[in-house]
Amino acid sequence: MTHTLTWLDRLRIERLVWALDQRLYDLPRASRVAKRREVRENLLTAAQDIGTSAAVRRLGGGARLASEYRSAEFGDEPRHSWIAAMLFAGTVPFFVNWALGGATQAFAQGVAAAQPNATGTFIWSGIPFIQSHVTYTVVDGAVRSVGGAWTPLLWALWIGLTVLVGRLWRALPMWKRRRTQPAI
Amino acid sequence: MPPSHDPQLLKGVLSLVLLQLLAERESYGYEVVQRLHEVGLTDVLEGTVYPALSRLEREGRVSARLVSSNSGPARKYYRPTPAGYDALTTGAASWSSLAALVEGVLTRPVPTEPLQGD
Repeated sequence: MTHTLTWLDRLRIERLVWALDQRLYDLPRASRVAKRREVRENLLTAAQDIGTSAAVRRLGGGARLASEYRSAEFGDEPRHSWIAAMLFAGTVPFFVNWALGGATQAFAQGVAAAQPNATGTFIWSGIPFIQSHVTYTVVDGAVRSVGGAWTPLLWALWIGLTVLVGRLWRALPMWKRRRTQPAI
Repeated sequence: MPPSHDPQLLKGVLSLVLLQLLAERESYGYEVVQRLHEVGLTDVLEGTVYPALSRLEREGRVSARLVSSNSGPARKYYRPTPAGYDALTTGAASWSSLAALVEGVLTRPVPTEPLQGD
């Protein structure tokens, strides 16, 4: 033990450990936490021994280390990605709702443009297959709408594409295997 | 300066070397790296060894236990399981056989010109 660690050294180590942790989110939580603790402990020991710069350099970079850890955990066969699945499932509804909202609004604007002082109820069937019908209530040109929700087909597509994007079917055999080998 | 080793060659036998070292003495990750350097494998980096230990653990060839350390967080010490000892015995025999074959080929005298085929 020849090097005394400063708070800056500890910060550098923490930064690397947390950068690694962010890349290990596909691992089970217990395993991810165990690896984070182990890498931190080894880095602290190495930094005291050979210096922080050398210790960090010899780890070979967070991306490569994370990739090696994922291969060690899941094997070399193709893997699923919870992150990709969550990213898709979280962002796609935003864009779909934006598009459906735009279409709903366009019909309302069409009604208002055709009859600026219209009063009555209008029904639009929505975008075929993916949007339920929309009911517009117009009172003296002021339009309120109800409906336009996702159809069961769109829900099924969203779920199916989430599974497809994350290749989640690959998680099943890994989950079965992991149940027999709990992480330390 | 010690000679560098082909990473691909090393990768094939790293788990075997790790099992041998851990069978000799229970060690934690950084200690294993130091011991590899002591035997001359100075170009094996920490970033290769830690995932290799993790892989051995997943395969059930080593077990691990946490031991508290005076200098910081608890250390994770590894030791071979019975399956690890079996793998070490089988792997060492296989490596010896292969090394003897390759050695036999590579120590043959090399002619100045390759002999012509028929």
